[in-house]
Amino acid sequence: MLLAYRLPREPSTPRSALWRKLRRLGTGQVGDGLTALPLDARNREQLEWLAEEVAQAGGEASIWLGELASAAQERELASKMAELVAADYRTLIADAEAAREEPPGPRRRTLSRLRRELRRIRARDFFPPPERQLAQAAVEELVALVEEPVG
Amino acid sequence: MRWATRRHCHVDRAGCAWLIQRFLDPEPEFVFVDDPDEVPADATPFDMRGAELSHHGGDCSFETFLRQYELADPVLWEIAKIVHEADLANERYDAPEAPGLDVLLRGLSMIRDDEELLALSGPLFDGLYEYRKRALLLGREPA
Repeated sequence: MLLAYRLPREPSTPRSALWRKLRRLGTGQVGDGLTALPLDARNREQLEWLAEEVAQAGGEASIWLGELASAAQERELASKMAELVAADYRTLIADAEAAREEPPGPRRRTLSRLRRELRRIRARDFFPPPERQLAQAAVEELVALVEEPVG
Repeated sequence: MRWATRRHCHVDRAGCAWLIQRFLDPEPEFVFVDDPDEVPADATPFDMRGAELSHHGGDCSFETFLRQYELADPVLWEIAKIVHEADLANERYDAPEAPGLDVLLRGLSMIRDDEELLALSGPLFDGLYEYRKRALLLGREPA
């Protein structure tokens, strides 16, 4: 499924808002003003609302249902999308490792932040990279540390 | 009155349908369509592209209903926060119930058609309303 969009350069607020929303949904940028998501009910609905927002901000947007003619290019797009979430997982893993050195109070707070972050990343992870398991494991290790009885 | 919305209802549409029946129109008739072009002339469309009762300025349709019909009930605004986060998950509000409500309604939509879904989600929202009302009166979570 593709969202084709065009927004005026100015004002820049709707542009950056759209960019943030696309980033959160985990779309794969295909070209300038063209971005893709795997087709399912949730993604379709979210892209349709974004298209509506673009129109309300004075731009143009349309939703397309399509598939790549080349399997190789499809794999390329999928691995590009996987690399984006892999980078997010790596940041999370680094944070989880750093949190092991934190005192118990802050460590507990970091854990709940990382759990939320993990949920957010997983929601946009359509082509799970190996980092997904590692991130899950890093958070679970932190859980074990937090649950360890004091003394 | 007739009301039209998109087929395969999820949380925002289910919430709006409940809101309509409980607060605006005790005997509503719902029409489900695939495309905005299919909305019957005598029906009021909601939660679809181009409709007045839809997403606006970052609000989900449930919030738009509350604003349009000036429903100032604070309990409804508590539910609006949950519906917003279940629908959009953009962390505008802190609504820990939202991921649960999202999953429950999405699951129901997998095994029931739209009429049955609304028949089941109605009492769910009634319960949510009662719970949030008691929480507001008590100033803490009721049990």
